[in-house]
Formats: sequence, C-alpha cells, structure tokens
Amino acid sequence: MDFVILSIAMLAIGIYGLLTNRQLLKVFISIELIATAATLNFVMLASSAGQGLGQALLILAFSTDTAVSAVILALLVIVTKKYGTSNINEILKTQEKTEVEAET
Amino acid sequence: MILEILSVGLLVSACLALFLDEVIYSVAALSGTFLFTALLYAVNGAVYAAIFQFAVGVGTLAILFLSGEMLSNKSTKKTPPAKTFALIGAGVVLSLPAIFLSISSSSGNYSPVSFGEALWNFNGLDVVLQALVILTVTLGIAIVLYEQRNGGK
Repeated sequence: MDFVILSIAMLAIGIYGLLTNRQLLKVFISIELIATAATLNFVMLASSAGQGLGQALLILAFSTDTAVSAVILALLVIVTKKYGTSNINEILKTQEKTEVEAET
Repeated sequence: MILEILSVGLLVSACLALFLDEVIYSVAALSGTFLFTALLYAVNGAVYAAIFQFAVGVGTLAILFLSGEMLSNKSTKKTPPAKTFALIGAGVVLSLPAIFLSISSSSGNYSPVSFGEALWNFNGLDVVLQALVILTVTLGIAIVLYEQRNGGK
C-alpha cells in the first residue's frame, strides 16, 4: 500500500482541476498531474517489489505521456488561434454566435 | 522524515499549479511538482525513473513556459495572498492521510545501482545537462517575451 494514498490524492487534485478549470492551459496541467500520479503509483509499486522492470517500463509510460502532451498542445494552439482565446466558456459562446449567424 | 517532506511539497505544489491565477506562476509550481516527484523516485532507489522524470519534466516545462507566455490572455488579475495560503493549507491537509497511513511504512533503496553509476554508465549525465540547457534557454525566451509584452518597462 506504499504511496498509493499519495498517488490517489494527486489523482484527485488532477481530476478536480480538470473538471473545474476553464483555461485550456490549466486543463493541460491537470492532465499532466494525472499522468504523474499514475506513473508515481506505477514506479513506487515496482520499486517496493525490488524489480527493475517497472523502471524500464516507465520509459514507455513517459513516451506515451509526451506524445499525449504534444497532441494536446497542438490542439490548444489551433483552438486558441482560431477563437482568439483559451477560455472554454468564451470559445463556446463564440461557437454559438457563429452557429446562430450561419442559421440566419 | 524526508519522504514526508517530499510528499507534502508534492501535493502543495500540485495545488498551486492548478489554482493560481497567473499561468507563469502555475507553470513554476508545476516545475516543483516534477522536481519533488523526481526526488521521491531517487530517495526510493528508482534512479532511472528519477532521471527520466527530470528530463521529461524539463521538456514539458519548456513547452509550457513558452505556450503559457504566448497563448494566455493579458490580464492584470493576481492571486490574493489569502488564496495562496489557502491552497498551501489544502495541500498540507491532503497530504496528511498519505503521511500517516502509508509513507512511513516505506523502505527504499532496493535498486543495486547507485546514482553516480547510473549517471556515468547509462549516459544519464548527458540527458540531465541537455535538459538544463533547454530549461535555461526557455527561461531566457520567456523573460524576453514577458519584457516585450510589458513594453520594456
């Protein structure tokens, strides 16, 4: 059970931030925290068992995390350039306006 | 004792990273999260994990510093000190169950490879130094962008 509670606390902080923050960059930070919580749990369990395999597999987890981060950041840049803001509420308002204008 | 301090620092910096109003300060707090995670790995004997966490964390921070400076809206809103202290308190409170229920029962140093050996034999030193160079360059660019945004004041 070592470090599982710490990992769960960090996961909870990340999920809470993911649900409550309206800035896309903060959403990205939340996803980073969730990924860090997952790798923390993974590495600590592997380390406590005395196996080096867990650390070796961590490289795979990191590369996946980096790829996910790159995709999210690319989407963030595209959305921010298209709508001129990184606030989710303002993006939704702009989208609604565009749809209303297109209908009329 | 050091594990408890690291776990408190980890959760406090995670809270600050998410709920501070200024994006640059959030990214700075996130750097603390990555640093504490890497230290936690190193203290528990997972040296390779610590090195990779440090390298990947620095890369992510480089991107976040640049994108945070470029993409965030220019706002004069600042985090009030009371909110900052509340966030620190929330982080400490959240870390209490982890400290009293699990951390103390941990016993580390299972890895037979020492930190210096890992750095020398597996070229970890190269990775760490490259990461430091990238972080320095990124911080410089972020400062230049910040100065340009403020009109050279």
